[in-house]
Amino acid sequence: MSNPATKKPMPLVALSIAFIVIWLMIAAFPFLWTMWGSFKVEGDFFSRADWMNAITGPATQLQTGGRFTLEGYYGAWVEQAFWRNALNTLIVVVFTVLISLTLGTLGGYALARSGFKYTFWILMAALVFRAMPHVTLVSGYLLPFFELNIWGHLTTTIVVLVAINQPFTLWMLHSFFLSIPKDLDEAAMVDGCTRFQAFRLAVIPVMWPGVITTGLFSFLLAYNDFTVTAMLLSEENTTMVPQIDSFLGSTQEKGKVMYAVAAVVSAILPLFLLILFFQRQIVSGLTAGAVKG
Amino acid sequence: MPHKTFLAFIWPSLFAMILFIAIPIVSVGFQSLYVEHEQIMIEAENCGPFGCNSEVRVDREAMEQLREEQPAGRFHGLGTYTNPSHLAIDDIREIVATSENFGEIRNRIMNLPFYKALIFTLAYTFIVTPLVIVLGFIIAVVVNSIPNVLKGPVIFFSLLPMIVTPLVGSLVLFWMINSRGILGAALQSIFGDPTLSLTASPALTWVTLFVYGVWHSAPFAFVVFYAGLQTVPRDTLESAMVDGANRLERIRFVVIPYLLPLATFIGLMQLMDNFRIFEPIIGFSAAASATSLSYLIYNDLRLSDTPLFGSAAATSMLTIVGVLILLTPVLRRNWREFNRKPS
Amino acid sequence: MSRLQLKNVSKRWGSFVGVDNFDLDIADQEFLVLLGPSGCGKSTTMRMIAGLESVTEGEIWLGEKMVNKLDPKDRDISMVFQSYGLYPNLTVYENIRFPLRVRKVPKEQHREMVMKAIEMVELEEFMDRRPAELSGGQRQRVALGRAIVRKPTVFLMDEPLSNLDAKLRVSTRAQIKNLQSKLKVTTVYVTHDQIEAMTLAERVVVMNSGRIQQVGTPTDIYNDPANTFVASFIGSPAMNLVEGKLQDGLFKGPGIRVEGLPKHASGNVTLGFRAEDAEIVPSGGQIAAPMYSIELLGEASMITWRIGAGLVSVKTNKDYRAEIGDVVEARIPAEICHLFDTASGERIKT
Repeated sequence: MSNPATKKPMPLVALSIAFIVIWLMIAAFPFLWTMWGSFKVEGDFFSRADWMNAITGPATQLQTGGRFTLEGYYGAWVEQAFWRNALNTLIVVVFTVLISLTLGTLGGYALARSGFKYTFWILMAALVFRAMPHVTLVSGYLLPFFELNIWGHLTTTIVVLVAINQPFTLWMLHSFFLSIPKDLDEAAMVDGCTRFQAFRLAVIPVMWPGVITTGLFSFLLAYNDFTVTAMLLSEENTTMVPQIDSFLGSTQEKGKVMYAVAAVVSAILPLFLLILFFQRQIVSGLTAGAVKG
Repeated sequence: MPHKTFLAFIWPSLFAMILFIAIPIVSVGFQSLYVEHEQIMIEAENCGPFGCNSEVRVDREAMEQLREEQPAGRFHGLGTYTNPSHLAIDDIREIVATSENFGEIRNRIMNLPFYKALIFTLAYTFIVTPLVIVLGFIIAVVVNSIPNVLKGPVIFFSLLPMIVTPLVGSLVLFWMINSRGILGAALQSIFGDPTLSLTASPALTWVTLFVYGVWHSAPFAFVVFYAGLQTVPRDTLESAMVDGANRLERIRFVVIPYLLPLATFIGLMQLMDNFRIFEPIIGFSAAASATSLSYLIYNDLRLSDTPLFGSAAATSMLTIVGVLILLTPVLRRNWREFNRKPS
Repeated sequence: MSRLQLKNVSKRWGSFVGVDNFDLDIADQEFLVLLGPSGCGKSTTMRMIAGLESVTEGEIWLGEKMVNKLDPKDRDISMVFQSYGLYPNLTVYENIRFPLRVRKVPKEQHREMVMKAIEMVELEEFMDRRPAELSGGQRQRVALGRAIVRKPTVFLMDEPLSNLDAKLRVSTRAQIKNLQSKLKVTTVYVTHDQIEAMTLAERVVVMNSGRIQQVGTPTDIYNDPANTFVASFIGSPAMNLVEGKLQDGLFKGPGIRVEGLPKHASGNVTLGFRAEDAEIVPSGGQIAAPMYSIELLGEASMITWRIGAGLVSVKTNKDYRAEIGDVVEARIPAEICHLFDTASGERIKT
């Protein structure tokens, strides 16, 4: 790789490195700081006296006798039963992803393989739907849901999340299906398959990377959702993100804010692992839409 | 693919979208024409040992019954749209008539809740989007030039702000810039002003939210540009070098034109996402100084004692109109491209 | 009987005509080649036979059955695709077995049938590999094996050789020809390569812009092209075509005069002759013009002139020497000439 196109003058290299270091600080430092701080007491994490306290933790030492404390986590997970919210999140996310992918692969395949004009209109409608702020849609659900007495249940929320994410899922899977040669399903049909068999036996086995990538994104959409879960779930069914929001309401009491900090760190952790294992898929997914324009 | 097969594959997805996206939009439009019932008052005699006094109170039974009969409330036509908490037609007329200069008009309009939210939403959308594109591009170009071993970890950490739940991400930042947090305290000592708080003044709150927006979305632009950079044709770059272009000229004349369609794509995605900015306002507890259209709707539905369906629906409709205006150029372009294709 | 009939078949997308009134009767066990430039409708015709594309107008009959409304799987055909359409997740063996599996052929027959097909396409050593681990030629043979694993009524092949390199193409071509004669199955083969068409076909259908231009044996098509399109498409190099005027059996064009042509036609005509039929002469030729280029082809040399707006070439022996710009003459006897009406492009019958 020593061709002149890739060789750079020293100052430029130094500048690039400096820039990257600054960017990494901006991008990652807040998370590392909060993670570190979540093992301290409020007096250290929000120290009026000296910011160094958050690192050394004198108040933590004083109050708990150790340099680190799990008080925040204990408060959130045990006292405030955050585990229940985590469980709810798990249920909502798993079902949303599974159902989204099932509907999305079927629909995306049809859109990618049909040459008729209406596919264009469906895709455009999906684009408009995708741009709708979720809260406007939710304001349309509340009244009917109250009337039908289905407000507050996990099932309702799952169905709504599936529907809201469908435009996105359709677009993404559609562009993945477009990258699979038509020859494959046509060969299968000539070999004796129905359209559905061709889809199941010939196309899906090749589609796994695309399905997994799309699954990651619909996971993120469901996991990160605040609007729908906050408005459609009753108190006892609520998921992690809205629960963190309601911790904030009760943080005036001393020490309670650390519950929120612990809960926030707990909610970040799965995402951390997700990027760790699926970085390549996430990158390919973000660009899938772009390549097709 | 014959129509029948197509329908067989797509109906579940289509059904879900119609039932939970298309119909709710219609239902919102319908709700926006209604308002809550007026309170039905009854007069009750309260007789005690010291004589009787009459008291006016809400007739709960009658209200319940009325709600039962007409859950959407009473018909109000376009009244909700024009009232002071939405388009505020009368107030604007009065402001324009009674104000002396443009500055005053602007300030008084900024006090109307809908316009305050609209202006913030637009400002956020149109300031954050270009900044995201520019910052993302710079990061991509720089990361592309560092040694391969470092790329993986750099991308890993770069993805964090984007992947993390918006509410959680904004809370993490909020705790840091809080006057007792590390950044807030640092700023106070830099400026020597112990009362300095980023969340106290409206202007600083706006800036904080913009910074959050760029921080949250720049990774997206970065990743898309970075992937685009991998596919810049080597031949063109090399022929530009043979032709004598220096590093900057190569970026200017080869890389940027090649990545322009990607910038359009990022711009479109960002416009859509930024227009519905909502969670950060909650995360930063910024509602006093900055509200967005989405926040107004949330506020109507959640924070008042009884949900103000009519008011929320009217704001929703206005927001939908905004989204459609925002999307028109995109839809027009797609339509033209689609017509150019044969078959 | 697996006779295949296309009765006035047309394919339209909106106002765009893909295939226009295609009418042909293909006999049992015939090897038919559809030949034409890309976009001429040959692949669309084949895809309509396969059932992958709906028929806008007309009827397709397979044996005694009208198959217009049948799904591909119910037509009892097999097809080789241009990019092969192999299942990347299956091994060679499983790829070839796939049609038997989905068509519910009794399990105990699978092994024997698949092994027979694998033997015929000579893939015994690669049975357990996946397509990604095979070379282009081997993948092509897997596709072929999958097509012959059961005995269909019709084989369809859509440019099966176009992704192979030149050398492999020649050997695979021979293999396909050999397989077809052994299996005795009606075959429709689509290609844009006229050499493939000439070597493989019993009958060639030349197509252009959705229409049949000419149907005939390779010899017919080579010797008696029906119009200027066929003349310019068949042969390597293609037939020389010169526009000019014909009167009383004398053809006059820019830099060319040919006498002794039929007298019953006159007016604007296009004169055609093949490079290998004419010869270079020292003097008294019908063409006398400065030479534009000389190329050594190996067994012969090719002399080219610029005549009017086009180029005209004549083959001569490989030792011929001349400099670019020298006046060179060629003899073009009337017997080797074909006449076409310039306006319609149709052959003027003699």
